[in-house]
Parts: sequence; structure tokens; C-alpha cells
Amino acid sequence: MLLGIDVGGTFTDAVVVGEDGILAQAKVPTTHGNLLAGILAVMDEALAGLEPGALRRVALSTTIVTNTVVEGKTDPVALFLLPGPGLDLAGLIPGAPQRLTGYIDHRGRETAAPLEEEVREACRSSGLELCAVAGKFAVRNPKHELAVAGWLRKYASPEHITLGSAVSGGLNFWRRVNSAYYNAAVWRTFGRFAAAAEDAVRRRGIVAPLYILKADGGTIPLPAARELPLEAVFTGPAASVLGVMALAAPAGEAVSLDIGGTTTDIALWRDGAPLFAERGAKVSGYPTAVRSFWLHSVGVGGDSHVRREAGEIAVGPERRGPAMAAGGPEPTVADAMIVAGLADFGDAGKAAAAMGRLAAPGQESRAVAGEVLAAAAEKICQAIAAMIEERAAEPVYRVEDILHGVRPQPKAVIGVGGAAAGLAPIVARKLGLDSIIPEGATVANAIGAALARPTLEITLRADTEQGYYTVAELGLHGRLPERRLSLADAERIAARHLADRAAKAGIPVTDLETVAAEEFNVVRGFSTTGKIITCRLQIKPGVTAAGREGGDW
Amino acid sequence: MKAKPFGLVFFPAFDWAISPSHPEREERLLYTRDQIVEEGLLDLPGIREYKPRLAEIRDAERVHIGVPDIASLITDAHLVSAGGAITAAEAVMKGEVERAFALVRPPGHHAMQVVHGTRGFCTVNIEAIMVEYLRRHYGIGRVAIVDTDVHHGDGTQDIFYHDPDTLFISFHQDGRTLYPGTGFPNEAGSPRAYGTTLNLPLPPGTTDEGLHYVLDEFILPVLEDFQPDLVINSAGQDNHYSDPLAGMAITAQGYARLADKLKADIAVLEGGYSIEAALPYVNTGIILAMAGLDYSRVIEPDRAGRKESMSGQAMAYVKALTQEQRSLWRDRERLGREAAARAGDFWQRRRGIYYDDSGISEEREEIVRLCPNCLGYRTIATSSEGYGTGYKTAFAAVLPRRACPACRAAAQDAVRAEKQRGNHRHYFIQDWDNDLLERI
Repeated sequence: MLLGIDVGGTFTDAVVVGEDGILAQAKVPTTHGNLLAGILAVMDEALAGLEPGALRRVALSTTIVTNTVVEGKTDPVALFLLPGPGLDLAGLIPGAPQRLTGYIDHRGRETAAPLEEEVREACRSSGLELCAVAGKFAVRNPKHELAVAGWLRKYASPEHITLGSAVSGGLNFWRRVNSAYYNAAVWRTFGRFAAAAEDAVRRRGIVAPLYILKADGGTIPLPAARELPLEAVFTGPAASVLGVMALAAPAGEAVSLDIGGTTTDIALWRDGAPLFAERGAKVSGYPTAVRSFWLHSVGVGGDSHVRREAGEIAVGPERRGPAMAAGGPEPTVADAMIVAGLADFGDAGKAAAAMGRLAAPGQESRAVAGEVLAAAAEKICQAIAAMIEERAAEPVYRVEDILHGVRPQPKAVIGVGGAAAGLAPIVARKLGLDSIIPEGATVANAIGAALARPTLEITLRADTEQGYYTVAELGLHGRLPERRLSLADAERIAARHLADRAAKAGIPVTDLETVAAEEFNVVRGFSTTGKIITCRLQIKPGVTAAGREGGDW
Repeated sequence: MKAKPFGLVFFPAFDWAISPSHPEREERLLYTRDQIVEEGLLDLPGIREYKPRLAEIRDAERVHIGVPDIASLITDAHLVSAGGAITAAEAVMKGEVERAFALVRPPGHHAMQVVHGTRGFCTVNIEAIMVEYLRRHYGIGRVAIVDTDVHHGDGTQDIFYHDPDTLFISFHQDGRTLYPGTGFPNEAGSPRAYGTTLNLPLPPGTTDEGLHYVLDEFILPVLEDFQPDLVINSAGQDNHYSDPLAGMAITAQGYARLADKLKADIAVLEGGYSIEAALPYVNTGIILAMAGLDYSRVIEPDRAGRKESMSGQAMAYVKALTQEQRSLWRDRERLGREAAARAGDFWQRRRGIYYDDSGISEEREEIVRLCPNCLGYRTIATSSEGYGTGYKTAFAAVLPRRACPACRAAAQDAVRAEKQRGNHRHYFIQDWDNDLLERI
């Protein structure tokens, strides 16, 4: 038995999933200002009559981090940078950084040492409770970041230090700086929330481990999340994408639509998995290294305001209230769905009146409804087409990929969310595709949270010419056992470290996959002197198959 | 009004090499990629990255005459790098970006009009293909190309040697000390385009001081005079002090300040083989400078303690050279008339050209008609011999833009007469007005 809770902007949903499917579900209004109250209320409602001790896992998708950032309630962070030569980040990052001496170059070599005296001097000032330390190319050699963190502990004893190399093993100093900063800035708030949540859950007799959903659709155990709380930002859309995975499991290429009240979130799928964003998410306008699914949001939903503009039906992005059928002031997409027989709620007479307001001279209300739904679907289709174009225009760095780059060609449309049944089939028809509206589509988000599997990622870079390898996420910079190393060898070493890291975090190792790999010969003086191999491995995000006999039930 | 972004076409061709240990190998832009990704440059709101398009064979044949044909001499990578230059240029022409940099490989500036193989790592001339694409599709007139590679841009010079609408300025390490051994002040264009080819062979060891003297005192004023519609920078980076194939002493700051002053509309990467010590920093500097961002912190980690000034003797040489070229530029019309008068009805030259990468040597004779009514057609008789390529010969006539009817007829006659004689294996007419490369 698994419990999934998704805190949304309007509602907090919970589902309890057993081996035979959904055992219970509940929905309460989100309690802004005290998220935990709503979480506990929905949990109690969903678990009424069930045995809490039988739960094997509790997963929570929460807006605590997003809200902290959006509402500007982050804590001040002392930011220490080892930027070396290059772009001046002043003005491009939050906070006022302290610039330190010391540089690691692109091969991970130290070209200038950091100075303890500088850090000691900086520790004379106040406001060092929360620190972030980021060095350029620290993912190639975290030595300087670790040294600075050590000196900070020695001279200022901060409550928490986030290292840039710990938040992401990938290149992009700018993003790591922003990630490290915000990770430290939400650390305290998330920690308080996590402690309270854990306490409340335990008091209800639940012994199952608690997991937190991440933006990349994986979960992490609560203690691990407390070290990397920024990973829990923007998890709402990820929960819904996982819900699609659980409910419909698209096999090949597909497009999924989460059609809610005011927006439709669109994701593209390949080989049964949603595509990831090429770049990290933006937090407070700052690009970060937080990985997430690649989603586009378009302002069309059931409550979207509908009117005529210069004779043409116009839909959204504004919401003026609920459907007229439900007592709203203006015609909405949902009113059109009621008139078209695609939805059944509220006062059908008022929905017909809404269409009457929009009718062209002599036009019947069913025809108006058809026109409204076509216009709404057209906006979604345009957004899908734009996503496909954007993907096809994504730069690639190999001749082979230019010649044989494939543009996404979705074969099916999957609709979830409250307004999916009405709109997704029309979108599919326009695209000449089949549509799938899975059972349980209206609580897909909570189902996604319940079934989401734990994930973990690791980046290994081996430089055989210099004889070392690094795993940035682990702060590891070690000698290679031998100079001859193949990509397969590197992947084996990475897999071992990933398994160790997973075991420490209490995460089962299933479905390891290499998400990126490259291998270059290093040639000096016309002969090959080594290899540079980089590989990124992860425990694949996904869902626990409902009904499966699995160890994590 | 919000400033337009800067366009970057980055294509490191991570799966392409001339040969595994050749300087033009997969690894060349690896460390540059690492640096620009690590800096976050591709995420800056003021920088827009573009995926290169594939150029077509006809885009290459607008400029080149391949023997036996271009398609059999190139790889797909060449069509991507030429396409990358076109992508950068189109982003500028469409007004999507203020200026753009095609940071692509393989390079092109040693590829001449006639191509028998690969020389100086180049097979097709990606700037020339881009320039003629713009003329064809965007009606561009006057173009200035400033070649800042350490090697003389002999291919680009060759292609535009007879074109008064294309100003080609190259500074480079003196050809007496470096491949390809050309690029002297007396190579100034054929009589009808005299002075639109300008060469500044700089002494080995030239530093930022010497380079910026030439830039400030000669290149920038000449560009001001010429009033081009577009300024193109053949942005080779091998003048860097750490380059293993040359002996100059320019820094990343020197290159970045050059890009800042030149304000090229489009830059295209050429050479540069100090792949670890120079390229990551030089490219970061150029990108920041072209994007209008602060580049003052782009300083190589190993630069401290390097000598920045030039010897008095070397500086005196640079100043004298600048003075000499200033007079040539000032007197170009008179000098062109004099050269035409000396040549009579036809101007001609004969050259030996070698293709170091393909192991080919070529003999080429070029004859230009000094027509009173147009730029005059020209004929090229070429033969080559090389390892594995055997003996290849071709005869071609080139009709320049706005060729007069008499020259059109004469060019046709010349090729047909030559074919009758049967001294060559392949016969071509390249017609720039009609955008045709015709096999006769």
C-alpha cells in the first residue's frame, strides 16, 4: 500500500494505491500559509478505515520550496565564489558574492590555489549561518570548494554549507552558483517542514519511509532531501507527468496533456519516457541546475474565458471565474463542453445561455460550442507544434546528429486533468492521432506521487592522461587504477559509486541507465596520450507498476 | 528598446577529423565547449544559440570549381560548417540578432576557387560560400572580410582577387616564416580590383601592441573608407602566444579587444590549434566582446609574467609596413590603372599551389580579360598530380557578376575551343549572374 500526496495551487490530493489499484482518494483545499495542515487533513481522510501500519511508502509532492522562493521568504545566504577568469557574474546571480582567489581549469588542474587567509578574513563579518560555495570547474575537481568549506567551518561554524559541485555534476558554473545559493536559502524552511511532517506522520502510526518528489520525477528519502531541498522545487507538473506514466504508459512517441482549470501542461514522450528539459529550471528568474521534465504550459483550460474578438472566438489565457453553468460570470470552455455533451455538471441551461452569448447571428448553441472547443484545441495544437519545432532546432554537436536528427512525431495524445475528457480527443483529431483518457485521470498527480520511484544521478569524468577521475556529486577526485580505460570500464566504476550512494540514501538500485556519455582521444604531439571519458548514470525515474509484486510494496 | 541578442552557431563536429592525430580532430573544440558551457554563455539572455543548417552542393558550386567535382572532395562535415556560417549570416540578415559568430569546424580560408583537394585543413571556403549566398539571397553588395588567422587567407584572397566589391584584409605571420608562404603587400588584387586585397605580413612574435597598432592605424580607417554593407571576420585564433603551429604572441584580451573594435557583423572561426591553453579563453573573449558583454576578466591562467610589449625593431617594422599599405590604399585607383596599362588586354598569372593535406601539387594559369565594359571573363587552366589522386586537369571560364554580352560569348568560345583541342579532362563555365556551374 502506497500513499501519494500532491499539494497543488488550489487543492491538495491524496491517493492510496494497493496492488489492485486505487484504494482511496481524497481532496481538500490547499491550506496556504500552513501547508502541513492540509497535508494531514487529506492524509487522514484518505486513510480513514485503512491500516496506516500497512503503508510501505509515503511520497509527498509539495509546494513548500516553490512557495518559499516565490514569496521571497528565503533566508540570506553568504555566497563564496572561486570564479577564476571568464564571464563576470555580477548582476547575474542572487546575493552579493564574496570573490575568492583560486582556480581549477577545464581539465581539473589547479592553476591558482585558494587562500585560507581570505576566507578567515571573510569570516569576520556576520551573516554566515547559511553558506554556499561554488568554484568554476569544481565538477572537474572539488578540492577548492571542499577546502573553502573546511575553512568556513573552522572560522565561522555555519549551520549549513551547500557546495556547487554537490548540486550538480554537470558543467555550468552559473547554474550551479544559483542552485547552491537557493539550496542554502531554502534549507532551513524545508528542514522545519520536513521535521514537522515526519513527526506528524509518525504520530499517526505510519512507519513507512517518507519520500519527497523532485522536479525530475524521481523521489528521494526525506533525510537526503533535507540536504538538497532545492530538488523539491516545481514538483507539481512532475507529479502529473508521472501520473500519465502510471495510468497510460505510452509505449512509443506521444504527447501528454494535463488540462486543468486555466492551463494545459504539455509533455512529449519517447520510448515510454517523458523528455527532459535540456537545461535546468529557472528559480526566481535565475537559471539553475535543477533537472526537470520538459513541459510547456499554454493558457487553455476548462475555466478559460471565452469571447468573440473581431468575429472570431478567442479562448483564455484569462480566467474570469468558474463556468457559467457553475455560477460563473462569463462563458468558459467548460460551458462549451457541457453543451457539446462532453461534460456533465452544473446548470445545463446556463451553459446553453453562455453559448448563446457567443453565437453569431443564426448560430445554434451546439455549433457555437463546437467552434469554442475547436478554437481551444487549436491553441493547444499550436503549442505542441512549437514544442516539436523547438526540439528539432535544439543544437547538436556531431555531424551524425545533424544528418540523422529526428524531429518528434507523436503517435498518440494522452489526456489527464479535469478538462481532458472534453478537449484531448479534439486535439487528437486535429493532429490525426488517437486519444487516450485513462481511468483516474483527474487525480493523476497524486497517483504519480504515490508511485514515483526513487532516483539518483551521478557524473563520472575520467582523464586517463592525467590519471584521475572525478565524481562531483560525491566530492570525489581519485587516482585511476590504471591508465587504460574504456567507456564501458568508466560506466562500471560509475555504476558502483551510484550503487554505494543509493545504499547510503536507502534507495533500491533498479533500472540503472546511462543518460549521456562521451569519449575523446587526447592527442599531444601527434600521438594519443590518453582519453577523456564522461558518463552520466541515473536510476531511471519512473513509476512502480500498479499490481506488480515488487519489493517496494 | 531592448537590444537584439548576439547569435552563436556552435558546431564542434565531435565526430569528425581529417585523421586521428591531425590538428583538425574531434578534440579540437572540446575544451572550448567545456569553457563556454561552464561559463553559462549559452544560457545568457543576450546570446541565442543556433543549430547549423546543412549547406547544399550548389551553395559550394556558386563559389568553387571542384576537380572533378566538389561533392567527391568534401565530407558532410564541410556542408555543416558552411551551413553554420550561412545560419549565422541569415540570423543577422533577418534581424534576429545584432551580430553572429559561427564557431564551427572544419575551417575554410585556404580553399581557393578551384579545388583539387584539402590544403591547410580546408576544402571549401565557408566564408566565401556564405558571402555569395548572401549576395544571391539577400542582395548584399559591398563586403569586407578581415582575416585574423595567423596564416594568410590565401583561399579567400584567391576567390575575391578580381572582385572590387569584396575587400579582403589579412594580417598574419610573415609568409617567409609560415604556411602558406604568401600574403605579401604586392598581392593587392588584379587591375580591376586593385587595392581590395590588402596584406599585412607581421613579424613573428607580434604582440597585442603591434596587432592593435595595425588595427587602429590601418584596418579600421580602411573599413571606414570602404563603407561595406557587411563586415566579416575570418576569426582564426592561432596568433595566440601558445599556438603550436605558429609563432605570434597575441593574448585572449588582444583578440577580444580586436572583436570589440572591429564590430564584425559575422565572425567565422578559422584556425587555432592551442586547443587547451588558448581556444577556451579566446573564444570566451570573442563571444563576450561580440555580445557587448564585459570581457575584462577573460585572462589565460598562464599569462602572468608574459612580455606584452614589442621590441623597438619589430614595432618599427610594423609601423613601416602600415605606412606602405596606407599609401597603397590611398593610391589604389592610380596603381590599378597602371597595372592594367602594363597588362594590355589580358592580365595573367601562373602559380604552383600545393595541397598539404591531400598531397597534391597543382599548376594553375589564370587569364583575365580587361574588358572596357565589365569586370571581364577569366579562364583558368589547371592540372594537378598527387598521391592517390593521379593526374587531373580542367579548364574553366568564369563569368563575373554583370558580365557583358561580348565576354559571355568569348567565355563560351574559349571553353568550347579548348574542349576541341582536348588538352583537359574536365570543362566548366561558372556563371555568377545566373548562379550556374555548367559542365561542358
